[in-house]
Amino acid sequence: MLDSLLSLGGLVLLRDSVEWEGRSLLKALVKKSALCGEQVHILGCEVSEEEFREGFDSDINNRLVYHDFFRDPLNWSKTEEALPGGPLGALRAICKRTDPGPVTIALDSLSWLLLHLPCTTLCQALHAVSHQDSCPGDSSPVGKVSVLGLLHEELHGPGPVGALSSLAQTEVTLGGTKGQASAHILCRRPRQRPTDQVDPTTHLTFNLHLSKKEREARDSLILPFQFSSEKQQALLRPRPGQATSHIFYEPDAYDDLDQEDPDDDLDI
Amino acid sequence: MMAAEQMPKKDWYSILGADPSANMSDLKEKYQKLVLMYHPDKQSTDVSAGTVEECVQKFIEIDQAWKILGNEETKREYDLQRCEDDLRNIGPVDAQVYLEEMSWNEGGGLAIGTVLLIEEDKYNIYSPLLFKCFLAEGIVNGHTLLVASAKEDPANILQELPAPLLDDNSKKEFDEDVYNHKTPESNIKMKIAWRYQLLPKMEIGPVSSRFGHYYDASKRIPQELIEASNWHGFFLPEKISSTLKVEPCSLTPGYIKLLQFIQNIISEEGFDGSNPQKKQRNVLRIGIQNLGSPLWGDDICCAENGSNSHSLTKFLYVLRGLLRTSLSACIITMPTHLIQNKAIIARVTNLSDIVIGLESFIGSERETNPLYKDYHGLIHIRQIPRLNNLICDESDVKDLAFKLKRKLFTIERLHLPPDLSDTVSRSSKQDLAESTKRLGPGCGMMAGGKKHLDF
Repeated sequence: MLDSLLSLGGLVLLRDSVEWEGRSLLKALVKKSALCGEQVHILGCEVSEEEFREGFDSDINNRLVYHDFFRDPLNWSKTEEALPGGPLGALRAICKRTDPGPVTIALDSLSWLLLHLPCTTLCQALHAVSHQDSCPGDSSPVGKVSVLGLLHEELHGPGPVGALSSLAQTEVTLGGTKGQASAHILCRRPRQRPTDQVDPTTHLTFNLHLSKKEREARDSLILPFQFSSEKQQALLRPRPGQATSHIFYEPDAYDDLDQEDPDDDLDI
Repeated sequence: MMAAEQMPKKDWYSILGADPSANMSDLKEKYQKLVLMYHPDKQSTDVSAGTVEECVQKFIEIDQAWKILGNEETKREYDLQRCEDDLRNIGPVDAQVYLEEMSWNEGGGLAIGTVLLIEEDKYNIYSPLLFKCFLAEGIVNGHTLLVASAKEDPANILQELPAPLLDDNSKKEFDEDVYNHKTPESNIKMKIAWRYQLLPKMEIGPVSSRFGHYYDASKRIPQELIEASNWHGFFLPEKISSTLKVEPCSLTPGYIKLLQFIQNIISEEGFDGSNPQKKQRNVLRIGIQNLGSPLWGDDICCAENGSNSHSLTKFLYVLRGLLRTSLSACIITMPTHLIQNKAIIARVTNLSDIVIGLESFIGSERETNPLYKDYHGLIHIRQIPRLNNLICDESDVKDLAFKLKRKLFTIERLHLPPDLSDTVSRSSKQDLAESTKRLGPGCGMMAGGKKHLDF
């Protein structure tokens, strides 16, 4: 399941609540990405770094790039470590210096960001970040960017939740009954891009291809009821008086000329 | 399906010697008088043969004229046709002009200067199809396009337009290379079905009564068509830098930029009549995607009483002003299901000319309802235009549903079956609503529904 959540890329929205917390799922996804060798950035705003890193092995911890906004979000201590631009600045900076390769950015949490930033700004930033890989004509080919956002449903009205939901590629809502947690996953598949002619003869356990010799042999085969070509021509020659005709067919409203679509009344 | 009858462009009124405003009894009088004059039997015998010929011709004409003008229905049709021709002579030839005397059902297409608003379906799967159809129609007709989006680069949007289905003659221009490699039709050697080798293939008849074009949803528009077209794109992230200081203003900066962009294009390319040298007046088709979403910087989807809750309505007001004074038509898709304040939706509806809502069945309980088994969603007609009229001509078709097959996007009238029980599987009859010439070959993208969906 974790694979499928990460495979689409874009924004993955994790909606949790007080009863069914989502940080463990977020951490699991982070761990998965790190194990796959992706670059993983964490924007930690809600919990301390130690608490977030808890539960990860040391090698995973070494791979995580942690941006701490919990300890000093407004930069009162004015140290050099401070990142300019706040969390959004950090987000943009991550995207700008990305080397080719997939990147996963975990936002802990979107709720915190929503409380500190206007919703529209956040939406625009998330969209810019998660759609970076689809920019044509960019000088640096950027890998797939996945943004994992943790959102606490109860803290927000239907507006922001709806807005973020419409931006998300994948949405996971955590719920459950009586101690059994469950996740409801909603995937927005990207628009079907037309594929080139898929060759159905590949990936089969038997060989359907023809070699050149086989093809020639097949072409020269004489079919049982086939006339010789002279007789064919003789039969095809238009008889005198038979005018050439044109067929103008204007299909009716009920006609469906799409050969590949199955008929309406077939229960497939 | 019969080809449409071509009405010969004769002036029946002058043939009868009557005024176009004459009533039926006048016309009848004139007809009877003329018939007596020109009837072959009533001619004097010492008249030359040539004159007799002429008289017979004249008589036939008079008879034809009466056939058309004497019948209420045909007279009405003829009158409307005359009106249209007159207006076409003074108005732009290649624009779809809305004609006052024509009732809404007679005409077709999106009137110049109006806004078509599509309320997006929840997961925004079907509304882009209609949006792209509108743009594709513009490309095929040679109109100028203006595509605005905050979500996708307009160049990408154009790449994804559906391919038009053109009849063989025009298709040859585009598929030149393909045809060069293939052997011409008459030489196709069929091995098994050789008796059919020389039979002509199916073609679309020369008299095409179609209005608009048909699109194949599974194919992309040919690259040459896009390159040959004149289009302008507005991609918000490019036009607005993220560190722009937002000044308090009634319109969000994104909207202001878009309005300025549209206004520039209209005046530079002469759509507002400011460039009199242009003989061939063209139409500007504007498409705006996801208007009102947070990506435009508008917070009506995020909050119920945001700081800029009038921004969108002001934008629409100004846009409409721009459209009404230029040769342009606009399509907008809007995620109204996200707008928190319902009053805004009502205002937006009032500010648009046509409003259609798409409701998809995905994820709703209607998905399992047997009534909707064959469909993917419903179309709600929220508003139809009242252009130059006080009232609009509402048709009685209220329930429309759509379905998207591989190539075909169909809109059909939804009939309630007489008895709805779980065992009845194919009970709902599908009737194509009285509609126009959008009904075409089955492998096109057709809107068999209301005429105002013809673009």
